[in-house]
Amino acid sequence: MNKMGIKWLYQELPELITKGILTKEIADKMRQYYGEVKSISKTTVMLIILGTIGALLIGLGIILLLAHNWEQFSRFTRAVLSLVPLVIGQALALWVLWKRPQSGAFKEGSATFLSLMVGASIALISQTYNIPGDTGTFILTWMLLIIPLVYLMQASIPAVIYLIGITAWSGTHGDNPVTSVLFWPLAAITIPHFIWALRQEMYALRAALFSLAMIICVSYAASFSLGKTWPGSWVIIFPSLYSVFYFLGRLEVNKITTNWQRPLRLIGAMGLFILAFLFTFRYIWQYLDEYSYITSENIAGISALPDYIVTIAIIAGALLLFYDKVKLKNITISLPGAVPLLAIIAYFFRGQSIVIPLTIFNVYLFILSLSRITAGIRGSNLAVVNTGMLMLAILIIARFFDSDISFIIKGLVFIIVGIGFLVTNAILARRMRGAK
Amino acid sequence: MNRGLIIGLFLCLSFIQITTPLSMIIKRESVLKAGAQFKFKTTPVDPYDAFRGRYVALRLEENYVPAVKEIKLSRGRTVYALITIDSQDFARFTAVVTARPSDKPYIQTKVLYVTGDKVYLDLPIDRYYMEETSAPAAERIYQEHAQRGKQDAYVMVRIKDGFAVIESLYVGAQTIEDALRQERKR
Repeated sequence: MNKMGIKWLYQELPELITKGILTKEIADKMRQYYGEVKSISKTTVMLIILGTIGALLIGLGIILLLAHNWEQFSRFTRAVLSLVPLVIGQALALWVLWKRPQSGAFKEGSATFLSLMVGASIALISQTYNIPGDTGTFILTWMLLIIPLVYLMQASIPAVIYLIGITAWSGTHGDNPVTSVLFWPLAAITIPHFIWALRQEMYALRAALFSLAMIICVSYAASFSLGKTWPGSWVIIFPSLYSVFYFLGRLEVNKITTNWQRPLRLIGAMGLFILAFLFTFRYIWQYLDEYSYITSENIAGISALPDYIVTIAIIAGALLLFYDKVKLKNITISLPGAVPLLAIIAYFFRGQSIVIPLTIFNVYLFILSLSRITAGIRGSNLAVVNTGMLMLAILIIARFFDSDISFIIKGLVFIIVGIGFLVTNAILARRMRGAK
Repeated sequence: MNRGLIIGLFLCLSFIQITTPLSMIIKRESVLKAGAQFKFKTTPVDPYDAFRGRYVALRLEENYVPAVKEIKLSRGRTVYALITIDSQDFARFTAVVTARPSDKPYIQTKVLYVTGDKVYLDLPIDRYYMEETSAPAAERIYQEHAQRGKQDAYVMVRIKDGFAVIESLYVGAQTIEDALRQERKR
């Protein structure tokens, strides 16, 4: 049961007792059973948000002021100046750890500020001493210096900054997959923090923000670092990634209810649908080998090993999570996660047949949208029915404009699907009437 | 974790956070103090860096050495570029070696790419940071200067143990800052 429901129940209890529907003992037992509702006041949440945004803006402002490059200062003054913001940031964070170790707002804000000041300090030194423009090294040094803050101060914005930073670093090595694949172990450092954040019921916002950053960064990093030795492998890698996101979002680690608080589940499912939809187009399979991002340098043997390990781990993770849900026989939940498996099957037919992959994904999307619709009807949830309808409509419209299927086949399929619709509709209508 | 331990660990982190930039400063200061001086001919142009501000991008006129058939050099390989001084007092690279030289001046650098008979070097002399408004002006001064047929911009670099730190950028006989100051007076 979710938090809101329990709150509502507790509000109702006194009235139920006075009206004699429940006895006081039963009400007390219910309170014991559900436990206390921990709630965090709106003011505290606002304090955290405003404090963090304030720290972020001031930090970025200082970076810009320093970037102006004050040439009237001597080299010595600038060397000292470049350490000052860092020391201020550290002093602030130390004060918070000493005096306000319980305050999430203070910790998040001061850790964010200190994270930015580390960057400002290195940037100003680069400026003063004309350090060569190696952006990758600059970012990586910065990120490694701030990552401990995530754990020492339990702060999520530094973790988000870190994720964005290592993604950018991985991007600067996009032409060198042997280096950029190091993104994965670097990103893994944030996982304990992520699990901790998910468990903090009062910080649903924090977990949502972090998941969002992770989805975006991991997607970019995957394109920078994975599948470089294996043409067309993206059709398996990306569905596997989004499938992992989707199933992680499905884990009941927290009693959050709305979609917006579960970006992993929402974006994971949307990503899987979009990918499966793309896979119903002929050109994806036709030009699969040409679309791959093989670099000019040939990597093979030992140097390609990390790429293989990460890729296989992601695919295996997606398949295992899928199998886990299939075992529970919950088709509505597990079906979106079938895309990686189907992509693997389709991948083996590449070059030999384009019709087989296209058939697989058209049929799959058809079943997927039908399963949404029926699940929605069963649970009398109109929103679910409508998303299923929308998915089906997108699929049908796309096929209507496909030029390479003969009009006769297209016409026949449309008629059959239309009849199917009317029949299911009639059956459902009868059943619903019968239920009443 | 108790508060004492967290604060202790935080102090360790603070120490590392301070020593990283500090060591960057000390290393460069020591080169600027004790390193030997070299002049490299260059072409300045003006780009922009969101974090570190405006700078003049430097392109050394001779950023390559003749390739030697015996040594196979691939991209990103660390090499040592040997420096000699020509008759006009400018420094230029004569060759690259793969072992650290003991008696000749050199810069530690990486191979950018190899084409035919030339090995291009990824030299650590590529940016000269300037005040926001100065960098575009500096580029313009150089262009005007170059049109008068005098392409004598050069960068003064100090080198110690193969580590190079830029000291100043010259256009003609003046530093770029002096040239700018003079132009503003006019």
